[in-house]
Amino acid sequence: MKNCDQFRELIEAYALGALDTEERAALEAHLATGCRDCAKAVEEARWLVSQLAYTAPEAAPSDMLKGRLMQTVRAEAQAQAKPQVMPAKSFVPFWLWAGVAALLVFSIYSAWNMRRLHDEIRQANDRAAVLLQERQKSEQQLAQAKREAMILMDPSSVKIAMAGQNAQGPQLEAICHPQLGIVVMGEKIPMPSAHHVFQLWFIPKKPGAKPMPSMMTWPDADGKFVLLVSNPPESMDDTKALAITEEPDGGSPGPTTTPRWVGGVS
Amino acid sequence: MLLAAFTSSGAREVSPDATLLSGLLQKDVSAFEQLYDRHSRLVYGLVLRILQQASTSEEVVQDVFLQLWRNAAQYDASRGPFVPWLCTMARNRALDHLRLKSERQRRREDIPDELPSVVIAPEYEKALDEKRRAERVRALMASLSPQQKKAIELAYFEGLSHSEIAATLKEPLGTVKSWIRNGLLRLKEGLQATT
Repeated sequence: MKNCDQFRELIEAYALGALDTEERAALEAHLATGCRDCAKAVEEARWLVSQLAYTAPEAAPSDMLKGRLMQTVRAEAQAQAKPQVMPAKSFVPFWLWAGVAALLVFSIYSAWNMRRLHDEIRQANDRAAVLLQERQKSEQQLAQAKREAMILMDPSSVKIAMAGQNAQGPQLEAICHPQLGIVVMGEKIPMPSAHHVFQLWFIPKKPGAKPMPSMMTWPDADGKFVLLVSNPPESMDDTKALAITEEPDGGSPGPTTTPRWVGGVS
Repeated sequence: MLLAAFTSSGAREVSPDATLLSGLLQKDVSAFEQLYDRHSRLVYGLVLRILQQASTSEEVVQDVFLQLWRNAAQYDASRGPFVPWLCTMARNRALDHLRLKSERQRRREDIPDELPSVVIAPEYEKALDEKRRAERVRALMASLSPQQKKAIELAYFEGLSHSEIAATLKEPLGTVKSWIRNGLLRLKEGLQATT
């Protein structure tokens, strides 16, 4: 008890909440030792302090406060009562399940439809790309045909007969125009060997000069042979002859075989 | 257990508050309304005395009664009689608001727990009913010296500590401690004397 005496005079102030930190900590440490007498004294002191509430003048809160409180309390009471009345199984109504199911089906359909549309769009894009390529090719062919026609029909064009190795075989004819280019044409021309092309050469007049490589092509399935050279040597005057050899795919920088057709430039 | 908490030992009838609190556990709105009607004036008066502002005081009173409604089941009968418990909770809430408002740099530990601690009504509590005891408390406080009364009020209504009261009143710390202790002891003796 002697130990308690030093704390007893703190108990009322502790219950009042007026003790400073050090004294409060000391008293709480003592209470934590399990001193029943002091604990009981604190509990009674709290009651005594609570009586001080009566020294505050009573005052009536506004009716609005009670209205707000009762509104909140009634709403919470109703919210708590509802789950007890309604069976758990029917808590989610059938129409809501049906709605969820419909939404799920719609979502799956939408995903499938979106994927289908995506595939269709991709296929359409592929087709458009092919068509565009074909159109560009057609335009190139048309431009080439126009140019060929212009070369063939222009009065300033010069025809050069290109004789074949075999006098009995098919012949080629070259039509040269000083600005538009050269067209080499022939019918019933056989296909070159596998992995080979026909390549045109310009044979210079200058002795010892190397033949100048030019365009490559194949005859079509009907044996029709057309070769357009849009950029012939600036001056055909330096060219002695035109020759066509059979070269490996991709052409050669210099002829590797004996010319199949040769035509002299006059 | 709850009912027993509000039945004074030796009393033959269950207190009205005990009956109403029993209804509160069943979420009886009517019981809550009656409890509010019985104690709102005391609680609001206490909070208004602390905060000195009607609108903030009503917010605090609303919080206190909503906590009572929502957490009635958490009420521990061993915490003691209902009205002191309710007043202690209201005071704590109001002082919290006061401290936030004034941004006083006191440590949170200095504030009593939000849920009131154990309160034991002494034997002499039964000597007077609530109304007469309230009158007796007011009379006893009025009989204290002005310094004692002022020091106790600063602690109870403004939540000041010994040293803060000493600084406020510009009095020695030991003097303030004596005023508060002697004032409370006189209040206690005055209530005991009614038995």
